[in-house]
Amino acid sequence: MKLKEFFKDKRVILLIVLVIASIGAISVLGIQQGLDLKGGSTIQLQLEKPVDTATMNTVTAVLDKRLNIFGVKDVKVYPSGNQNVIIEIAGVQPEDVAKIVGSNGKFEAKINNQTALVGSDITQVKTYQVTGTEWQVPFTVSLEGANRFAQVGKGQAGVPVEMYLDDQLITSPELSAELANGNPSTDVMISGTEATKEEAQTQAKSIHTLLQSGALPVKVKIVGVSSVSAELGDQFINGALIAGVLALLVISAIIIIRYRNPLLVIPIMLTSIAELILILGTAAVIHWNIDLAAIAGILAAIGTGVDDQIIITDEVLKGFKDKKKRSGVRKQIKGAFFIIFAAAGTLIAAMLPLAYIGFSRGATGIGVLSGFAFTTVLGVLIGIFITRPVYAKFIEMMLDTRK
Amino acid sequence: MIKLITFERLLESYKPLIAIPVVITIIALILIATMGLNQGIELKGGTVAVVQLEKPISQNELQSLISTGLPNQTVDVKSVNNNQATVDIVGDTDVVKLSSILEGTGTITSYKSVGAVLSSESLTQIYYALAFAFIFMSITVFIIFRNFVPSMAVILAALSDIIIAVGGMSLFGIPLSIASVGALLMLIGYSVDTDILLTTRILKRKEGTVTERAIEAMKTGLTMAAAAIGSMAALYLVVVFLIPAAQTLADIAAVLIIGLIADVLATWLMNLGILRWYTEARK
Repeated sequence: MKLKEFFKDKRVILLIVLVIASIGAISVLGIQQGLDLKGGSTIQLQLEKPVDTATMNTVTAVLDKRLNIFGVKDVKVYPSGNQNVIIEIAGVQPEDVAKIVGSNGKFEAKINNQTALVGSDITQVKTYQVTGTEWQVPFTVSLEGANRFAQVGKGQAGVPVEMYLDDQLITSPELSAELANGNPSTDVMISGTEATKEEAQTQAKSIHTLLQSGALPVKVKIVGVSSVSAELGDQFINGALIAGVLALLVISAIIIIRYRNPLLVIPIMLTSIAELILILGTAAVIHWNIDLAAIAGILAAIGTGVDDQIIITDEVLKGFKDKKKRSGVRKQIKGAFFIIFAAAGTLIAAMLPLAYIGFSRGATGIGVLSGFAFTTVLGVLIGIFITRPVYAKFIEMMLDTRK
Repeated sequence: MIKLITFERLLESYKPLIAIPVVITIIALILIATMGLNQGIELKGGTVAVVQLEKPISQNELQSLISTGLPNQTVDVKSVNNNQATVDIVGDTDVVKLSSILEGTGTITSYKSVGAVLSSESLTQIYYALAFAFIFMSITVFIIFRNFVPSMAVILAALSDIIIAVGGMSLFGIPLSIASVGALLMLIGYSVDTDILLTTRILKRKEGTVTERAIEAMKTGLTMAAAAIGSMAALYLVVVFLIPAAQTLADIAAVLIIGLIADVLATWLMNLGILRWYTEARK
């Protein structure tokens, strides 16, 4: 087979197109690095009991609000399963994080600088309502809270009620007349009117979150903190690169010793690099985070790739030695691919439970390894369907000594 | 050729050779039973901190500095290397307190703390992940070969690899952690590769004697093993000398190296032995 014929093969063209597309995707979209590589903190919280989606949304909204009030930028708060919450913050040192999330939100409502309500007075916050540009947030308070509020608010109709979260003034709606008559009421409501319906919606949601922050629907505790500085993240990346290059050198040495043919190193290296580019390109397109676990997955995928290439090489060599006919070589390659598909099947089967835990339970506990499982499976699939068939073609062409 | 012939003769007496991996597997089981497994911080709860040192300090000095600051906790300074120290602390740790203890000595560059709740959950997940990975792998092997004895031979070889790898973890004090479980799962996939290669070559190929086919398969398989072990050794050395903070990566590499060496024995002594026994009995 000639080089020209090789480049006309459909699979070869597909590989070349995909590699170029991947390089394009990587340079345009970039690769999202996990927090353990770019530096940042991950805090895992556990709720005292599993909750429904609505309650979970409240919890994440409240935590998000509190972190924003503290001026923490680039914060992501998301649920993991129905009992855990994960907070990701770029570039914050762990002590700051622990301080913010470790304490309960402090809510206070003051009238004329006198405390009327505190977070622990609020017993339940009901769903907010928006009608046109008017909004309402009904909530209930304890008897004790109702009494204090009635006392402080007596005769103060029209005076602003200043609401603080963690000692920061958030909003100050006016006290309505019916709450200023001195009679305690456990059913209270904050309402207002904004210029547009959207603003009313935003305001109502914000007040709703604020009121809940003092009394999260469930108790929350920190079960895990992990934090990596940007410098250490860089060290990890450099280390992975050095390890990768060294591993390729070791593999090259073994190939040269085994086959006594230095030229064979070239296709094996090129295939490994193509696989790396395709995995990273896919990650860029689907916005998959590349973290340490994913790097381990890439190494595993490329490692099995090298194994498969050795199998293909041996089969092709044997085919040429025994039969010297192309049909014989093709049969050998078919045999090699039976082994390759079978091996890939078992590897993917072994990774499935891990991927399942990761997707169903989120990134808590062993779920951090789901990135590893996913990347390995992705790399293996790319390998068996895209790069390895091309490698087989190339080796067949290269080792073909018949004129 | 002399060498190859004696080797062939060695392969002819395959039955006693099966005993070697079996004995090592039993030794590994005894090791696990008597020495137990270290649990990583993720599993027993506690803190791992990486500290960038601002002034030179010995391992012992740092150890006593932190122990004095945290009197009720077990502190273990794992390594001091390239101005970087890795510290393990058992139990819930106040990171604010830790950083104030270290003030003037160093700053925390990485911090990982796991509470008891999360750790007990992780342990359950680990057992499930390993058990199901093994079951799924076994089912796949049965689907591939549709033949009881050869399939069982592959599965037994994989089981022996994992037990020997866990025994090695026990022997060398590599902690059972989320990362080392990842390595064990990777091993399930990796080790089965060579077994599938061997079984396919022995059962599906017709040319040559069984011994010839076995030797061909062994050439391919040993090259594969050498490539994998070599890459893992490279990873291990890079972590130990250049990035000691990424200790978990070194643990992964070590588990894989032990497992892959075990796989060489399990595949070419045990799996091959059972296959030969099977092919001869079938005749």
